[in-house]
Amino acid sequence: MSNILEVKNLKISFKTFFGEVEAVRGIDFNVERKKTLAIVGESGCGKSVTANGIMKLLPEPPAFYKDGTIIFDGKSILDKTNKEMEEVRGNEISMIFQDPMTSLNPTMKIGDQIVEGLIKHTNITRDEAKKKAIQMLEFVSVPQPEKRVNQYPHEFSGGMRQRVMIALAMVCRPKLLIADEPTTALDVTVQAQILDLMKDLQNQFDTSIIIITHDLGVVADIADRIAVMYAGQIVEEGTTDKIFYETNHPYTKRLLESIPRLDMDKNKPLSSIDGTPPDLYIPPTGCPFFDRCTEAMVICKDSMPEFTILPGDHKSRCWLNHSMVTEKEES
Amino acid sequence: MEKPLISIRNLKKYFSVKGGTLAAVDNISLDINEGETYGLVGESGCGKSTAGRTIVRIYEPTEGEMFFNGKDVYKLSKNELHSMRRNFQMIFQDPYASLNPRMTVLDIVAEPLDIHNAYKSQKERYDRVIELLELVGLNDEHANRFPHEFSGGQRQRIGIARALALNPKFIVCDEPISALDVSIQAQVINLLKSLQEKLGLTYLFIAHDLSMVRYISDKVAVMYLGHIMERSGTENIFENPLHPYTKALLSAIPIPDPQIQKAKQRILLSGDVPSPINPKEGCRFVERCSYAIDRCHKETPQLLEVVPEHFSACHRTIEIMEAKKRGEEETLITKKKVEKTHNVG
Repeated sequence: MSNILEVKNLKISFKTFFGEVEAVRGIDFNVERKKTLAIVGESGCGKSVTANGIMKLLPEPPAFYKDGTIIFDGKSILDKTNKEMEEVRGNEISMIFQDPMTSLNPTMKIGDQIVEGLIKHTNITRDEAKKKAIQMLEFVSVPQPEKRVNQYPHEFSGGMRQRVMIALAMVCRPKLLIADEPTTALDVTVQAQILDLMKDLQNQFDTSIIIITHDLGVVADIADRIAVMYAGQIVEEGTTDKIFYETNHPYTKRLLESIPRLDMDKNKPLSSIDGTPPDLYIPPTGCPFFDRCTEAMVICKDSMPEFTILPGDHKSRCWLNHSMVTEKEES
Repeated sequence: MEKPLISIRNLKKYFSVKGGTLAAVDNISLDINEGETYGLVGESGCGKSTAGRTIVRIYEPTEGEMFFNGKDVYKLSKNELHSMRRNFQMIFQDPYASLNPRMTVLDIVAEPLDIHNAYKSQKERYDRVIELLELVGLNDEHANRFPHEFSGGQRQRIGIARALALNPKFIVCDEPISALDVSIQAQVINLLKSLQEKLGLTYLFIAHDLSMVRYISDKVAVMYLGHIMERSGTENIFENPLHPYTKALLSAIPIPDPQIQKAKQRILLSGDVPSPINPKEGCRFVERCSYAIDRCHKETPQLLEVVPEHFSACHRTIEIMEAKKRGEEETLITKKKVEKTHNVG
């Protein structure tokens, strides 16, 4: 089987005081072994809920899985009990989070935090585990690992903490690493280091990676495939080159246009997407991008298009691809 | 020659912290002309936000002078400063933290007017607020709502309306877009640009996003650990960077184009920004610089005009520049990146 992870028709909602928020509304994607899938989208589009959903880290309630399946390495994640999930988390699937400041335990030595996972998942002694922790810190280029292993998180800088997080995530050699905005809190020079490190690790350990980000520059650097999310749905998916060079969906197009580039024409206003994403308390029945889309047609308002398969491993969810659309109608 | 609106001379801001003195801003000088946007860039902790806040005297400077229209703002008494304050305003990074959640938009935007008694009647106050809201793309419907009812981009517009309330001449924009989504960032930048044209504003634009800085700024200064490493016109900085730090910073920006990005040669900086507490004599960048020589450890380089209108604080700038012309830049590198050996079992 070539896919490490297969997600089908996943729907995740939250029950709140005001009603149900449909955060993830039926998404399908696969992650190939040893490959990197990037999930991109704006804040609130459901990308982090998806990531936490795969790990079953969402508090239930208020969250609940409305529908769908998540198959990891041939086994269904959603059928696992909490106890069984503990065997998966940190061991087979690991996660690194956006903010390395809050995701490490401030009262525990770095070494003990790494050792904790090793002892839980493998049958090794504390001394061996500590040796492995030092090796791992060395691998992620933390200088003086023998000394650093006995220090606390506040003694590390932001970039170093993210390295420690990566060491922590990779120490049990997981098959899948989920990185939720791993470089957003870091400076560009440090970001470049961390991305290189992730690529190194992938080559060394044959890990599959899901990277969640809103930064398309990061995506261009690291991803093999891209899934673009908008309002809880995937609107376009394909190889990195297809998404960047043969962009199909109007939302992806606008998103790519609005990234600041170094070679922008200073005399032209920046292209932006007017308006804001829809409210997911009452998700629209039609295309969720309808309100903000410059190419919207009458049909887009009331019915959501299905995926159109485009040449060369690329699909997009837009009525403009329908065979009946010959010319652009005005809405 | 044009007389600058803002002239900062030898500005220093030190904080006493446990273990010594933190030199957040260490001897910077800048001239900002009227109607111009000056970009101030650098990594987190380099002192760019402190510089912005000290310039408008939110923080009291440790040393230095700041001339606004020829008057030294740092020598003003409390009362004089109060009336001077209406000339400069600030837009903050986090639109969630910079608006009081218990005040309506009307009161938030009117607060500067209240403080400076800038109206005669309640109607005048209201009208001015509505005028400001319309200026930033909001309207009178929004006036009686609370900040939590708005999205990030709209909140930043409210912050901008508040900054404009007293018709300031100079606005310090401290990372005004870094908390926003890309599609919304562009809206806010377009707004800032059109307001500048309409109202003749002067901006100090503090950011770490170099592509945005290039787009909006006329001139750019690059800061590192409290020092200005390089400053010049925007195109000089981006097309012809002189300082090794600027070069590394520029090469680290990911380009949203997979083929270019994957083929790109990056100058990988090792390590992080060092601590600014009790800095040693010598170049601040020396630990991470691949061109460092002995002199860089011993002597702090001055910011010198290497090419007309282009300043760089590096002992080896001219040497590197000339080597680059001959295509021999590589020969000057003193520190090579050590290849990592993968031996984890």
